[in-house]
Amino acid sequence: MKLIVAGPTGTTQHDGGTFHPEQQARIFSVMDGIRALGLEDEVVYPPTPKAELGDLIRVHSVAYLAELEAFCARGGGDIDPDTFARPDSWNAARRAAGAGLAAIAALEDAGEGVGFVPTRPPGHHAERDRAMGFCLLNNVAVAAASLTARGQKVLIVDWDVHHGNGTQSIFWDDPDVLYVSTHQFPFFPGTGSAKEIGGPAAPGLTVNIPLPAGATGDVVRAAIDHVARPTIEKFSPDWVLVSCGFDAHLADPLGDLALSSGDFAELARMVNEFTPRPGRLALFLEGGYNQVALQLSVTDTLGALLDLPAHPSAPTYGGPGMNEVRLAVSDRHRAIEAVQTTVSSVEGGG
Amino acid sequence: MNMSPTVVVGYDGSVDSTTALRWASQLTRAIGGRLRIVHAVGLLEHAGLLADHVAVHRETALGIAAGAGADPERIEWSVVDGDPCSALLRMTMPPESADLLVVGSRGSGAHEGLLLGSTSLELAERSVIPVTIVPREREAQDSSPPV
Repeated sequence: MKLIVAGPTGTTQHDGGTFHPEQQARIFSVMDGIRALGLEDEVVYPPTPKAELGDLIRVHSVAYLAELEAFCARGGGDIDPDTFARPDSWNAARRAAGAGLAAIAALEDAGEGVGFVPTRPPGHHAERDRAMGFCLLNNVAVAAASLTARGQKVLIVDWDVHHGNGTQSIFWDDPDVLYVSTHQFPFFPGTGSAKEIGGPAAPGLTVNIPLPAGATGDVVRAAIDHVARPTIEKFSPDWVLVSCGFDAHLADPLGDLALSSGDFAELARMVNEFTPRPGRLALFLEGGYNQVALQLSVTDTLGALLDLPAHPSAPTYGGPGMNEVRLAVSDRHRAIEAVQTTVSSVEGGG
Repeated sequence: MNMSPTVVVGYDGSVDSTTALRWASQLTRAIGGRLRIVHAVGLLEHAGLLADHVAVHRETALGIAAGAGADPERIEWSVVDGDPCSALLRMTMPPESADLLVVGSRGSGAHEGLLLGSTSLELAERSVIPVTIVPREREAQDSSPPV
């Protein structure tokens, strides 16, 4: 199977300093992880032009984009205690968003393979009109919206340790996007309850599986299997995009879940089962702030998808969270039933 | 507004949030209300990468509120995950309840005249309850209770 790497981007721009965990070194670790696969010339690197305004306004407001560009042009600064922008950040963000589009195009051309988008800044916290959580533009959302604009149905699986509030809010009421997230909860950004199921036009198409600190890989896999799989199979996506954060790793300094790099390999295999045919899976780098864990996780995740004879670290078992998975199932059912009751009541004139 | 109104104030340790906290404390003293001090914890603070941490902010904030005359029995300290704007909005919506939201004119990291990074301007636009934005200059001009 072919590996298409749309990137790297963010290696020379958008610098928050070495104290900031969302730093350029992350991309170097990711690329080391790709090199460790030993594929060398077999990896395809398509050109990654910056996303155009027309691509971005599908998911961001024009006012926000203009403000972000002007903010960077004036020298940038701290947008909130977590999120910074520098003079080059507008271009870096557009390149990151454009890389996702390039991955989609390359996969369509190839008709096979797996796309990987190693870019920064990450994207899944960025909302329609707001930067936050290190994110300026929502890269996975820009890619998904480019597909739904062509009538495609998109599944987004987000296994970053943090809930992707931006992606959820952008597609909250979109019947063409199914958003599935496993994440530590309660935790930053505060959203991601199982009761958040989507808007009136897309009830049930947001699937949140909140997990307690310490949850291990078996819990995350059970969450996908028991909570999300039935909805995914019913939805029947044309494309599968992954918000591929590696900060759910045990060693990550910004999260408290307890996954190994081998768990990400298992999750990648599971998610690949949801693709309708080859060449319809792309993984977008989100979080991941321990450089060693990041490198190993990239190698193990991509190795699993490419069926390489790798030896990932062992999957993890036994952490807390199985009760929360069961609770998520019942919370979702109750929330969906409540929506259906309201709809029938309105339709019945009650 | 109910008989014992709840005033939510955002506090992040900045000069502006300190001014807002003093103002909100004086207000609750004057009207016999409850004061809920909300501190949003983001990614860096959770990871211990900021200079101050929650315990320091709590001690400082409670001291400021008490010093400004708020009844210690009617002060609540809340730590909320999220960016400051989202965290403050959540504390004003069900199942929480509040009658007034008070914030400083800029917070840490915000920039004068820009919507981007301005928690106060965004809150003024999105809040479903009244918002008071306390200007930094207010403290120097007039420290009397705002009623």
